[in-house]
Amino acid sequence: MSAARPGVVSALRWELRKLRAQHRARVVLLAALLAPVPIVVIIHGQSRPPKDTLFGRFAPDNGFALALLVLGFASQWVLPLLVAIVAGDVFASEDQHGTWKTVLTRSTSRGQIFVAKTLTAGGFAVVMLALLAASTIASSYLIVGHQPLTGLSGQVIGSHTALSLVAASWATMLPPTLGFAALAILLSVWSRNPAVGIAAPVVLGLVMGLVGALGGVEAIRPLLLTTSFEAWHGLLTQPRFTGPLVDGLLVCGGWSILSLGAAYVLLRRRDITGG
Amino acid sequence: MNNLLAVDAEGVTKTFGSVLAVDDITVRVAAGEVYGVLGPNGAGKTTFLRMLFGLIRPDSGTVRIFGRTWDEVGVGVLDGVAGFIESPKFYPDRTGRQNLAGLALLDGGTRPGLLEEVLEIVDLTDRADRKVGGYSYGMRQRLGVAASLLREPRLLVLDEPANGLDPAGIRDMRALVKRLAGSGLTVLLSSHHMEEVEEICDNVTIMSRGAVAFHGTIAELRRMAPDPGHVLATTDDARALAVAADHPEVTVAPDADGALVVTGPRPAVSAYVAGLVRADVELLGFTLTQTPLEALFFMLTDDFDHQTLVRPVREVALR
Repeated sequence: MSAARPGVVSALRWELRKLRAQHRARVVLLAALLAPVPIVVIIHGQSRPPKDTLFGRFAPDNGFALALLVLGFASQWVLPLLVAIVAGDVFASEDQHGTWKTVLTRSTSRGQIFVAKTLTAGGFAVVMLALLAASTIASSYLIVGHQPLTGLSGQVIGSHTALSLVAASWATMLPPTLGFAALAILLSVWSRNPAVGIAAPVVLGLVMGLVGALGGVEAIRPLLLTTSFEAWHGLLTQPRFTGPLVDGLLVCGGWSILSLGAAYVLLRRRDITGG
Repeated sequence: MNNLLAVDAEGVTKTFGSVLAVDDITVRVAAGEVYGVLGPNGAGKTTFLRMLFGLIRPDSGTVRIFGRTWDEVGVGVLDGVAGFIESPKFYPDRTGRQNLAGLALLDGGTRPGLLEEVLEIVDLTDRADRKVGGYSYGMRQRLGVAASLLREPRLLVLDEPANGLDPAGIRDMRALVKRLAGSGLTVLLSSHHMEEVEEICDNVTIMSRGAVAFHGTIAELRRMAPDPGHVLATTDDARALAVAADHPEVTVAPDADGALVVTGPRPAVSAYVAGLVRADVELLGFTLTQTPLEALFFMLTDDFDHQTLVRPVREVALR
């Protein structure tokens, strides 16, 4: 007999062990840590800055602007992709290996395994975002400099405040990133296919971005996950406004609850016939 | 009474769309028993075993394991239960030892030294630190047994453990299952090989097209078995047929390929063979077509006999 009734913690430890051993996950974290450095160096060395991009005009000469330029780029498809590499695979990989019957014939329930996998994917998203943000901000700060930042309303923001606002802007990526993680989890459970779990959130993100850019969709736009990626703009205006942040938090929460709820129901009801 | 049963599945039915996979079956396995579930591929054996493990929910009926159901205690119903369904699957990029350690985590841990013990039992100690992706099929089967034993089960469920193995692998796996069965475990063994079940099991359920075709002891099954058939090769088949006229208890008839098949009680067949020798008919070959139990198995499970034979047997044999 088992030494003790296992719970979510036991399942979580197993998921984390698997994640640590996963080459793909290690590459993503390493890329989040190291990739910003050459990107910052390249943009810093450019004689013709990307003027048509938010903060692009100031990016080569201002570390804060450059960190925000990278943020704008990352939110288009990079974050959904990086988060989906784990979240879109975490359930479907059991189908790929045929291991559902292996784990579900032990002493851990479907619910506990669902929670453990969701926490693993969510935790990975947080760590990945933290590494990407810290690396981007630190490399921009150290390589390009920490001159005062010109805000979106043309106001000049002192270095100390700018650093806080840039960090806060990156932090606002967390709700939509977790929202995409939840969406990837749903697609992973539904499709039982890691390729769909990883690629589909990115495609859906691009479609949402496209829909959000169209005219005449004002009613839909606030409900899109991608709209929350732009909520940080309000932090860089004078006066600041945080309404989109609150709205984004609610929308991302809604997406997450619906996606995870649907994924849980699908997994609970599923007959494990394969493998 | 139910609490004494390791498995008490009553009136269990499962359909997938329009396919009736398991049709109102009742199976009872007493604690300490070595029990066989036999049937050809597609008979519903694996679906039934998946329902035991909660991988599939039955449409109707009740599955009790040591007196408890999934609805009552959830995954707790698997306390003391282990095994694998079809071929056991593992994480290919992890070693055998890492796979077992991970599965032990899902069980809430194991006592110290158990992991090494089970690796020793299945003879995988030397290969435990190799990635499972490089394991042969037989090694994965044995790792599946090790993963099951890690739970120190009271009920071990093995779904066609020798399936897909080479002859040496089949021999080793059968010896292992026999050893485990002899250790006092309750064993529920599914197979489509009569000899495998006959060798090890006390009781057997034979399934055909989702339904129970026979349920009883191996001894009962033997009593029902038809006379053995032998393929006879001679230098003069016409005379061999003529000699058969003197042995009314023996049936000699050509099969679809034209070869003579001799059927009858063993003493009568022996007497017939002696008669052939006396009649100077040279015997070129005399080969058992199938064991009586195999013959019965095919009679019980072949579509041809299903309607005419299975139903009466089922009515008599279900307990």
